[in-house]
Amino acid sequence: MASKKHTISEVKIHVEGLTKDFDDIQVLRGIDIDIHAGEVVCVIGPSGSGKSTFLRCINRLEEATSGQIVIDGNSITASGANVDKIRQHVGMVFQQFNLFPHYSVRENVMYAPVELKLMSKEEASAAAERLLARVGLSEKADAMPSSLSGGQQQRVAIARALAMNPDIMLFDEPTSALDPEMVGEVLDAMRELAEQGMTMVVVTHEMGFAREVADRVIFVDEGIIQEQGTPDEVFGNPQNPRTQSFLSKVL
Amino acid sequence: MDLAGFFETLGEVWPLLANGLTTTLYVTVISLVVAMFLGIFVCLMNLSKIAPLRGIAKFYIWIIRGTPMLVQAFYFYFAVPQLLQATIAPDFRLDVVTASIITLILNAGAYISEIFRGAVQSVPKGQMEASRSLGVGHATTMRKIILPQAVRICLPSLVNQCIITLKDSTIMYAIGLPEIMNQAKVYVGRTFESFATYTWVAVIFLAITSVLMIVSSQLEKRMRK
Repeated sequence: MASKKHTISEVKIHVEGLTKDFDDIQVLRGIDIDIHAGEVVCVIGPSGSGKSTFLRCINRLEEATSGQIVIDGNSITASGANVDKIRQHVGMVFQQFNLFPHYSVRENVMYAPVELKLMSKEEASAAAERLLARVGLSEKADAMPSSLSGGQQQRVAIARALAMNPDIMLFDEPTSALDPEMVGEVLDAMRELAEQGMTMVVVTHEMGFAREVADRVIFVDEGIIQEQGTPDEVFGNPQNPRTQSFLSKVL
Repeated sequence: MDLAGFFETLGEVWPLLANGLTTTLYVTVISLVVAMFLGIFVCLMNLSKIAPLRGIAKFYIWIIRGTPMLVQAFYFYFAVPQLLQATIAPDFRLDVVTASIITLILNAGAYISEIFRGAVQSVPKGQMEASRSLGVGHATTMRKIILPQAVRICLPSLVNQCIITLKDSTIMYAIGLPEIMNQAKVYVGRTFESFATYTWVAVIFLAITSVLMIVSSQLEKRMRK
């Protein structure tokens, strides 16, 4: 069901039979999906539907209860998996930004490549400047995170994730904690990434963004994928009654 | 008693008090420095994934928090040496300074480990997740992201623990440590100048703790920024 332009490209994320229980509540009840290189997948659904949990299972911030997830041919759910190594290729952006408050903006972006000894401090600093320019924050390189607006912090968080030069980017409701006037600048940065061919999985309530940027929209409710398709299919002509009911409330 | 007599007493008692103060500060500072390391170590044990390590840490904290420091001091100075002499080391001797320092280290170490634990746990979970999501390991994340923020959070409480340990060191009077209270008692025994002598002891403690309190409130103010 993937959109046509991606059906023949390589599978970046393979999810099979994924379930997740929190105590005795089953949050994910069997998710199967293949996400292809360069594809932008937007995950929509009501709160508590399991969409964030699904995203967090992909880089194993949550342990799957059963099922497996394979990223670029490497199983991240296997018991002996080198999780840190796989995560280096999978960037993540959080709802609450989670910038490191004791580091400057530049140090936030430099942190991972320097700590993982992938770059010298000089290289990492130059790379940080390029990335900050890309998200329009060159002049904030030496500011502390607490002095930035929410939208600026989230753009720094995107630059920080990009510093590891990931193949895949995961976005967990990246605009939900922002004041409305700052949503646009973050979505613009994400749109640009999508245009450059990044493989992206975006959990979002921004239906406008999903409709415009997504190659595929997935509607998750009660822990399973209820419906998926191109934005035109899902938004224009939803088949599942749950999808219809959800979209009638948010659109 | 007139004011002049009050200061006169200070002049006479001061050499003795200064001696005691040196012992008090020596014992307190050494104990606190070692207790900081012990506290970090026990805190990491307490937060470890390995259950026996957590068990040891919790057992230690339980013993220290649940018994009076006076009992601990007697235990390390009298009870433990007797046990060792009767069993594995017949010639075992422990001087009063060492016994006092051990008691204060073990006591402050337990409380400091709890201060650290509270601080580590008050660093938002998202900080660990953000670092781990970049592919950085748990140990590096603790060292570079979590602990620096935790130390900032708990600095005022640590200074407060310094005040407590300084004051607690007077309990070592009971096992005969020649600290400031002990020396004051000696002077009073000779001259019966209770009021002047103990007033000066209190003032000396107040002077030191006041400085520490100011440091603590400054740190708190800086943290709120």
